[in-house]
Amino acid sequence: MYGWVGQILRINLSDGTVKKEALDPVEAKNYMGARGLGTRLWLKECDPKLEPLSEDNNLIFMTGALTGTMATNAGRYNVVCKAPLTGAMAASNAGGYWGPELKYAGYDGIIFEGKAEKPVYLLINDDQVELRCAEHLWGKDVNETTDTLREEVDIDAKVACIGPGGEKLVKYACVMNDYTRAAGRSGVGAVMGFKNLKAIVVKGTGAVRVADPDAFFDALVKAREKVKNHPVTGQGLGMFGTQILINILDEAGGFPVNNFRDSGTFSGAEAISGETLAKTYLVRNKGCMGCSIGCGRIVNVPEGPYRSFGEGPEYEAGWSFGADCGIDDLAAIIKANNYCNELGVDPITLGSTIACAIELYEIGALTEKETGRPLAFGDAEAMVELTRMTALREGFGNELAEGSYRLASKYGHPELSMTCKKQEMAAYDPRALQGMGLNYATNNRGGCHVRGYMTAPEILGIPEKLDNLITDGKAQWTKIFQDLTAAVDSSGICLFLTFAIGAPEVAEQMTAATGFDYTVEEVMKVGERIWNMERLFNITNGFTKEDDTMPPRLLKEPVKVGPCKGAVNKLDVMLPEYYQLRGWDENGVPTTGKLEELGLQ
Amino acid sequence: MQRGCSPLKVKFFALLRDITGVKETTDFSGNILVELLEELCEHYGKDLTRWIFAPITGDDQERQLSGDIIIMVNGRAIEHLAGLATPLKEEDVVAIFPRLAGG
Amino acid sequence: MAKVLMLDPEKCTSCRTCELACSFEHDREFRPSAARVNVVQFESEGISVPLMCLQCDTAACVRVCPTGALQRNEATGALEMDDDKCIRCKMCIQACPFGNATYDSAKNRILRCDLCGGDPQCAKFCPGGAITFTEATSGTMAKKRAYAAKFKEVLQEVTK
Repeated sequence: MYGWVGQILRINLSDGTVKKEALDPVEAKNYMGARGLGTRLWLKECDPKLEPLSEDNNLIFMTGALTGTMATNAGRYNVVCKAPLTGAMAASNAGGYWGPELKYAGYDGIIFEGKAEKPVYLLINDDQVELRCAEHLWGKDVNETTDTLREEVDIDAKVACIGPGGEKLVKYACVMNDYTRAAGRSGVGAVMGFKNLKAIVVKGTGAVRVADPDAFFDALVKAREKVKNHPVTGQGLGMFGTQILINILDEAGGFPVNNFRDSGTFSGAEAISGETLAKTYLVRNKGCMGCSIGCGRIVNVPEGPYRSFGEGPEYEAGWSFGADCGIDDLAAIIKANNYCNELGVDPITLGSTIACAIELYEIGALTEKETGRPLAFGDAEAMVELTRMTALREGFGNELAEGSYRLASKYGHPELSMTCKKQEMAAYDPRALQGMGLNYATNNRGGCHVRGYMTAPEILGIPEKLDNLITDGKAQWTKIFQDLTAAVDSSGICLFLTFAIGAPEVAEQMTAATGFDYTVEEVMKVGERIWNMERLFNITNGFTKEDDTMPPRLLKEPVKVGPCKGAVNKLDVMLPEYYQLRGWDENGVPTTGKLEELGLQ
Repeated sequence: MQRGCSPLKVKFFALLRDITGVKETTDFSGNILVELLEELCEHYGKDLTRWIFAPITGDDQERQLSGDIIIMVNGRAIEHLAGLATPLKEEDVVAIFPRLAGG
Repeated sequence: MAKVLMLDPEKCTSCRTCELACSFEHDREFRPSAARVNVVQFESEGISVPLMCLQCDTAACVRVCPTGALQRNEATGALEMDDDKCIRCKMCIQACPFGNATYDSAKNRILRCDLCGGDPQCAKFCPGGAITFTEATSGTMAKKRAYAAKFKEVLQEVTK
């Protein structure tokens, strides 16, 4: 095979067996890899109704056809399983160098079955594949684990692992790779922790080959040129990182504040903005394998109570630990974000869960008896300490480790959890961005911004400017963004490229890499197929139309301040149109005709 | 100054700050947006002009915005107002961003 | 005047595009382990350094080679390996003090930078400008200027 290397590993953690299997080229073609192919392989072998934290929940690491090539920014892989946080399908996407290294070792992916009796790690050194004892690593954070394994195995080996967050089954623990890259959302790290799998160490010396090297090179040069010449991907993301968005969302009145209660604009936006970060703690920017953007931030807080060195934060973490908790102290946000990286937990869900706890405290649903300390919006010191405690499940952190939905439900106010399908939304208020609201509500993995990034047209005017406050046309755009993203995620390239390139460039690179004929229509069809497959998983698992919604606050309580003052999300206007455009019935169930068209029968 | 009579404010973001040297200013005004922008370009020179306006190719061509800029008046993108003809008044806030952001 | 590869680790984003471009140029596949350029990463300090053969004048690899397989290409300034003359004794690997010659066991050959015949792909595709292919004097002048600018700032500080 070309593009794909044609082989996957099957590791049974219960009996310790290792098998090498050929990758089915038809499945590969239809689902491209990573998110799509991983989900497809999961569904072939697992029951959607199973318990996420059970032996039967396969944990799949899958790369895409383009991963490890010189295609535009092709450093990505996905971790797939049923999600502990949501009960929906999880496919969490990460960059770095680990995914490409797996392909250089000769494998497109790894399927983990069962559960190890004691902590183990998997070593892959080209053909040599073995499970090893990891008891000496249990309890170590991500940096210590990675360092120890590289010293033990090979200093150039690439490591994906869990931190204490995953070991302690924090519902939104990440799988971390290359120290600071995260398969971040929905709790895939908890599944890895449950399986007693601490790490996967990979060293690969082989090649990824493409079907038509000349055509592939031409296609990638063309695509790279577009990426280089686009202001977002060629300049902005590298210079300021994703946090550059803070001032824009704030100015547009779409910045959620204090658990979305006081949304609109945040007085501390400038203090936590990408501009401020670039002038203060930024050391330099960093890219994943083959990346020409370099949005990663290497940051150093040299002194003070929040002294730390690491990577990030992204826009989302800058918001979740910042405006969502009423905090304008950038050093504190960096510290909390570094805890998340080192301990392996998702900063979006964690910051948002702290914000929820603060509001529960303010209305008296939580008291100091439970929390162990007074909680208030704007208390940076408490936020940082709660972040650490949560990742380690210490004290009240044990409750925060369950996510805001379970926390708010336990204390009688599920409506204060800012989640869709139990996963916390990101830093775009759906009342101010109507289309982003529709995306949150219909997203197969719950509150998620990276699988239908309506901010691009609604705020940034990419590819064209849509009015963020109106509902017209949003259903169609949401569908396009969701389908395109599903294909992009599955090919192995980075979503950020889609500011500059689209389905034509994906099609061209995929065709030359794999030798299969991917037209623009086929790329979009693959995306739609993946979206519907995920939808079917959720339906089989008991999700209904009632779950395609968002917290009542966003549907009923108008934005209090700023340019979007008075707005609520008009989901009921958009949802029927969205179902119809998707070829689903009025209950949001894909019709037989649609499934036949997509080959999902 | 009386309450309710604060002057028009212009805010600059990201790379534009390197050109203007300030994050915001109240030194400029205009009846409509294009007048304000021309005043700003006059003052801050060709580096700012390049960001804001598309290059002029013909003699009698009207000013057009470059594709590299996001302008909001009171938080609303000018595409949804009256574009370059958006009327301005005291107290308005004009925010100018290079189209750099993503994430 | 011959151009040289100039390295500026300050600008390296650790993306390793150079490794991909190098391996593709030489083998038409993507195999970083066979790249003639490597990015050495120091994660705990957040620094990455791209490294490849420096095309030494009095090169240890040339002097130690028993068959004269390494010849300088006068047009490009690169030391080029004649695979037919090379007996894979690997003495060049032992001799190079920088570790910039390696042995590829999968294909039984010595890997060294040959400046891609005068158009090094690593420099062409480096997104951050950490690797450039430029006249030695202009390359170093840029560094001098950057350093002098820092010096100037200090000078201005103390003479204020």
